[in-house]
Amino acid sequence: MTATAAPPRPPTSTTRPARRARAPYRWSARGFALPAVLIVALLLYLPFVWTSYLSLTEYNGLGDPELVGLAKYQEMFTDAGFLNSLRNTLFWVLGTLVLPVGLGLFIAVLAYGLKGSFWYRLPFLLPYAISGVAVGVIWTFVLQTGGALDEALALLGVTDPPRWLLDSPLNTFVMIGAATWQGAGVNALLFTIGLQSIPKEPLEAARVDGASGWTLFRTMTWPMLTPLTTVVVGLAIVGSLKQFDIIWAMTKGGPGVSSETLALTMYKDTFVENDYGLGAAVAVFLTVVTVAASVLYLRRQLAGTRES
Amino acid sequence: MNRTRILAATTAASLALGLAACSSSGDDSGDGGDATLGFYTDKAAWEPSFDDMNKVSEPQGTTLDFTGYSDSTAYDSFIKQSFRTKKVPDLFTWHTGSQLADLVDQGLVAETTDLWTQAEADGLVPEGLKDNYTYDGKQYCVPLNVAYWAMYYNKKVFADNGVEVPTTFDEMMAAAKKLKAAGVTPFHQMNIIFEFAWFQALLTGDAPDVYQGLQTGDSSYLDPKVSEVMDQWKSMIDDGYYNDPGVTTDPQTMLKNGDVAMAYFGTFLTGQLTDVGAKSGEDYGIFPMPSMDPASGNQMVLETGPLCVGKGSENEQAALDYSAWWMSDDAQNAWSSSRGDVSFNPHVKVDDPELQGLLDQVKDGDFTTQQRYLEANPLPVYTLSTEIFGDFVTNAPDPQPGLQRLQDEAEKYWAEQG
Repeated sequence: MTATAAPPRPPTSTTRPARRARAPYRWSARGFALPAVLIVALLLYLPFVWTSYLSLTEYNGLGDPELVGLAKYQEMFTDAGFLNSLRNTLFWVLGTLVLPVGLGLFIAVLAYGLKGSFWYRLPFLLPYAISGVAVGVIWTFVLQTGGALDEALALLGVTDPPRWLLDSPLNTFVMIGAATWQGAGVNALLFTIGLQSIPKEPLEAARVDGASGWTLFRTMTWPMLTPLTTVVVGLAIVGSLKQFDIIWAMTKGGPGVSSETLALTMYKDTFVENDYGLGAAVAVFLTVVTVAASVLYLRRQLAGTRES
Repeated sequence: MNRTRILAATTAASLALGLAACSSSGDDSGDGGDATLGFYTDKAAWEPSFDDMNKVSEPQGTTLDFTGYSDSTAYDSFIKQSFRTKKVPDLFTWHTGSQLADLVDQGLVAETTDLWTQAEADGLVPEGLKDNYTYDGKQYCVPLNVAYWAMYYNKKVFADNGVEVPTTFDEMMAAAKKLKAAGVTPFHQMNIIFEFAWFQALLTGDAPDVYQGLQTGDSSYLDPKVSEVMDQWKSMIDDGYYNDPGVTTDPQTMLKNGDVAMAYFGTFLTGQLTDVGAKSGEDYGIFPMPSMDPASGNQMVLETGPLCVGKGSENEQAALDYSAWWMSDDAQNAWSSSRGDVSFNPHVKVDDPELQGLLDQVKDGDFTTQQRYLEANPLPVYTLSTEIFGDFVTNAPDPQPGLQRLQDEAEKYWAEQG
């Protein structure tokens, strides 16, 4: 990292002493980085290599893993439960992009520039301070059969409300709603920071040219928000792909496997069903999808930023 | 320079944290004496009872150093991991069925054949219990506890609606019809954890041989008797005989409040009912689940959880001695009175009149003992059943596709076993 940050050298021989002086610095920098690199290798890369190995084995957590080639991947892709998890994970990715990100942007834009906008944003931000499990518990009280929502609907004369947490895919949708309740505020905060960093002059110029409201947002504000949007959307994609805690707290992936996502399938296959090989295969698949989605998205977005 | 200092400090701090985490994992239970046994369990809530047991076992010089987990899944992986280290647990609780078979296959638990032989000679264990602990003719682990699966009922709801305690399946269904007509939900069921309960209750009473055959691969989920049971169950769901599965209120609370009139559960429900202030014999009673087909005779599902000794653990012999003591009258009297629950030891009298009444009925009523569905069946089949039965409890779909999937899974499992 430090090496790439070095400025280009002028093409003169006077740079030689400077190079000599820099070499020990480089070595000491590597020395300082080494513990961190080792820790990352030990805690991240090594487990991933181990998990990848396990995904090629039959293993119940006891004794020694037995190599079975790609059998676990074959089993995974032909399992109806896995395909259902894949569908739910896709719902989560799309839902998270539309709701927490979209709503966050909406709140940020509406509140931006208003007097006391902090106070408008604050209520949306507070749920972010709660853990995912607690959010799940709160929303279970609201959404369970005969829960707060059903009681409220009964007051309005709705006697046969939907079975929020029992019917699929409705249960996934309402849980995305719970995640939105928690996540929209922080996205709003990030977008607000983005809005604050936009230079005022082009906006003023656009206003002078007669742009306002939706046109101003679409043609000026939104394009200038791109760097921040990239980060928010990137985080949302990764976060939604590995969504676990809210679902675990609300439905445990059930009834049956109807609201499971890949993260839950991975956990259940490994630790509940003791099929470490299958769980590892799901883990590898999830990692590949997450990394691929992040890299593809970020590369495309950041390339666009560089060109502009 | 500042940045490098911060980096160095952070690195040092994370290294220190890592080292601290490593060093804190070993808890020194051996404090000089060889009689403090490292004991691990996923029944964290039972710590007070194990404290009581320490008071009883202390005079003999053996006590347990208790470590309780409340998350069963995390506990299972912890135990498995511990066998890969030098820190093999002296004593730990586990599950019967294929989970215990896995440990036995790997030679990780100490054999207890001699303890069982002695206990049977002394009449400390009921007939049939040994089967849960036998692999290739040898025994491993001893029973930590047992629970009988029976029907709990709300006495006030029964009295208010003029319902007598049923002794046959037909009487029970007539009672359910009467309760339903009076606006009371007759039965409890849930779509998680115990989603198999009614399958077990109905099939053991309709075709016990088929129920047992499923555990060995000798009978099929496509057997007409299984379909008959599923149809019966479906008609009961369709008739509104069960609570809404989306309600997350505890079964003990629902039974106590009369939200349901009856709940089919293991006798561990007694402790949970006591916790919510329901009194045995006053607020609730217990009766054996009547057989769906009277020709099947009386059936009683017995659930048992093992207490195991880690093979090669530091205090292996002391832990085996403790296991032998655990089955004794002294230990079981103390355990039963501390837990307020039944004991496997037939010499032990339970204080609770309803539980004792159930035990007396089981003793005198010519019951055949069955294993609980959860432990009795191969883990992959059981795991799939949580999905199938969970969905069935929730939506009562046509049972055949689910049964087909269970049968496919079972065939796959038994084929792998050769």
